[in-house]
Amino acid sequence: MHKTLMVAWREFTATVLTKGFLLGVIMTPVMLVIVFGAMSMMRGLKGPQIAGEVALIDRTGAVAAGVEERFTAAADARDAEDRAAKARAMIDKAGPLAAQGGGMAAAEIERQARERSASTHLTLRVLPADANVDVEREPLARAQIKTQGQAADAGGQAVSRLALIVVPEGSVAAPAAGAGYAPFSAYFAEKLDFEVQDRITGRVREAIVEARLAGDPRLVGAGLTPSDLLAMVRQPKVESKTIDRGGHEKDSVGEFRMLIPMGFMLLLMTAVFTGGQGLLTSTVEEKSSRVMEVLLSAVSPMQIMVGKILGQMGVGLVILVIYSGLGVTALVVFLHRANLISAMDLVYLFIFFILAYFIVASMMAAIGSAVNDMREAQTLMAPVMMVIMLPWLSWFLIQRAPNSTLATILSFVPGINPFIMVIRLSGSEPIPSWQIPVGIAVGVATVVVSAWAAAKVFRIGALMHGRPPNFATLIRWIRMA
Amino acid sequence: MTDAIRMTGVRKTFGTKVAVDNLDLALPAGGLYGLIGPNGAGKTTTIRMVMSILFADSGTVSVLGRASAIESKDRIGYLPEERGLYRKMRVLALLTYMARLKGVDAPAAAKRAREWLVRLDLAKEARKKCEELSKGMQQKVQFASSVIHQPDLLILDEVFTGLDPVNRRLIRGLIREQHQRGCTVIFSTHAMVEAEQLCDRIVMIHRGHKVLDATMDEIRARFDPRTVMVEPADPGGAAALAEVPGIQSVSSSDENTSVLEARLAAGLDPQEGIRRIAAAIPVRRMEVKRVTLEDVFIDLVGASGGDAPSRADIRGEHAEAAHA
Repeated sequence: MHKTLMVAWREFTATVLTKGFLLGVIMTPVMLVIVFGAMSMMRGLKGPQIAGEVALIDRTGAVAAGVEERFTAAADARDAEDRAAKARAMIDKAGPLAAQGGGMAAAEIERQARERSASTHLTLRVLPADANVDVEREPLARAQIKTQGQAADAGGQAVSRLALIVVPEGSVAAPAAGAGYAPFSAYFAEKLDFEVQDRITGRVREAIVEARLAGDPRLVGAGLTPSDLLAMVRQPKVESKTIDRGGHEKDSVGEFRMLIPMGFMLLLMTAVFTGGQGLLTSTVEEKSSRVMEVLLSAVSPMQIMVGKILGQMGVGLVILVIYSGLGVTALVVFLHRANLISAMDLVYLFIFFILAYFIVASMMAAIGSAVNDMREAQTLMAPVMMVIMLPWLSWFLIQRAPNSTLATILSFVPGINPFIMVIRLSGSEPIPSWQIPVGIAVGVATVVVSAWAAAKVFRIGALMHGRPPNFATLIRWIRMA
Repeated sequence: MTDAIRMTGVRKTFGTKVAVDNLDLALPAGGLYGLIGPNGAGKTTTIRMVMSILFADSGTVSVLGRASAIESKDRIGYLPEERGLYRKMRVLALLTYMARLKGVDAPAAAKRAREWLVRLDLAKEARKKCEELSKGMQQKVQFASSVIHQPDLLILDEVFTGLDPVNRRLIRGLIREQHQRGCTVIFSTHAMVEAEQLCDRIVMIHRGHKVLDATMDEIRARFDPRTVMVEPADPGGAAALAEVPGIQSVSSSDENTSVLEARLAAGLDPQEGIRRIAAAIPVRRMEVKRVTLEDVFIDLVGASGGDAPSRADIRGEHAEAAHA
């Protein structure tokens, strides 16, 4: 045991105390924080302004006035407030804020939405109703979209045309029964911000709807104004609450919840495969650099294998602890979503990490010991790839319906079962309690079998050089050793 | 005296290939033994079985009085033929780690690692990574890692491959030193000169069988000298020499082209042979060739109809040339 731990410690330090690991694992989150910090600083700077004209050809003659109303400074301000409110609603929909007064992120998103509206200056130019679309479209090709700050006061310089809207006849007057209103056309300059496009078409759409309502004789007859009708079809934000098993009311965590199982699976995969990959690389290296036989003179193959697996498990744990710690901190401090993760989630994550890691590590150790170089290792990686791909392909289905037959069956498929269990356990829907111990038992049984097979392959493979084995050979080794 | 290694009726096969067959071997503790044989003879397999890295299909192996090397791994030093170092590990850390794996406690391991680096003239390299060392330096580090725990049994597989003459002499001295300390040394090679210079006793394996197991003196007595080295005074001496009664064949020497090797017919006393040659042709120099391990090796491998290696192979000259 003592020697096994020595092998494990060497393996751990040889991986963790390298520049590559420190940069890759420790620096990645640090870099993320720096990038986010820099981004938020840059937001304080004035962004590029979007300025230009929107041309309108109104063939109906009923829409132009309404559109003009929507392209004034007052309308812009209203719009900015509107967007900020929408952003706020979107965040609330994802889950009500745990702390009263809103988190940093929410305030930030609102502020951004407001600023974004303020940085866009659009002027409307109404063209004659019979203007030629082909001719009026031409300036779009020469449009200058973003001009840093100076666009608004460009003085004598012609203002760029960013959009051309054509409202055809038949888009306002009530159509014959069975037919629909004619759609309007919108032409945009290349690379015009999608949000700006959306805003322009939105304003035109509103003006058209208003014109339709105002001109419709049925509405007038019913004694309704267009704003009455609009108010009737508008629905304020839904307030959703979850009632837990104790009958207590909880804030519903909404769509944000969906991301948690995926986050957990990613975390598990990153930790498991960093350790697994490290194990494969170091085993291949020990074999190809011929250190293996020197080691075998001092320790048994089993001690080497177990030591290496434990060492790389330490590497995986370092990653798991760093990333899950950062994730939880980010949720609690920045997003105020402490209620999204329970302590039990983390305990299960740890248990299934150990199981998933041992399964993957056994495969990696066996492959590493059987081949001569990394290229040969790739040809034997199919089972490992399956363990990666299946949870990837099915995570969405499983988190949507954690208790579906598919999810339940996959929870007991050896190899992938730890990943599936983690997705299900971290999801919103509780799973039948008997499935947890059974899932763990399947995982443990898989670990025992794969470690036993890996030990057999390792014992033979470690000293075997020359032609790399195929699967049939590996199975023969497992049987004969 | 107890045996450091005892093998009885050992057999090992790989698929259909028989690597070692019915091998009996008893090597008393304290000796310095040479294990020789052509490539593919079964030397490395034998050693790996001694080390319990491979396991015999049948027969028994006992090492240092125990049923297997696993029980006495910390008392054995092993330098395999296929050896390497952790390329990214620093030299001092590597030696300390190897000593620790062999059961030396941490403070002693670090101390011994430093001492060995000084002895091997590698003190300046202690903080370097192994990959930064020359091949010869790496060999020395590997040797140190095999003896750092002061083993009772030292097994060296092709230890001299890749060493320059200076380091060769250094390692030879260190092997003798281990032997004098009381350590049993087994030295596997196909470089006959080294084996002859170092070993008390030679075991030769060929095609999985033991074909020779004797001390150097016994070998010399058994392989009776039947060759006379002759340097003729006249250039045409070779033809005349072949005519001398009792001379079976004449060939030129590998070492010196002006020297001829006259093979004596069976039953002819070498002294009588010398007299007959001296009477027949004028000679500048003449001596009875002392039997070398190389001759014995060629005799044994050649007699069994094997792929006899060339003399250059046997001396390890090809290996040397490759590393020069």
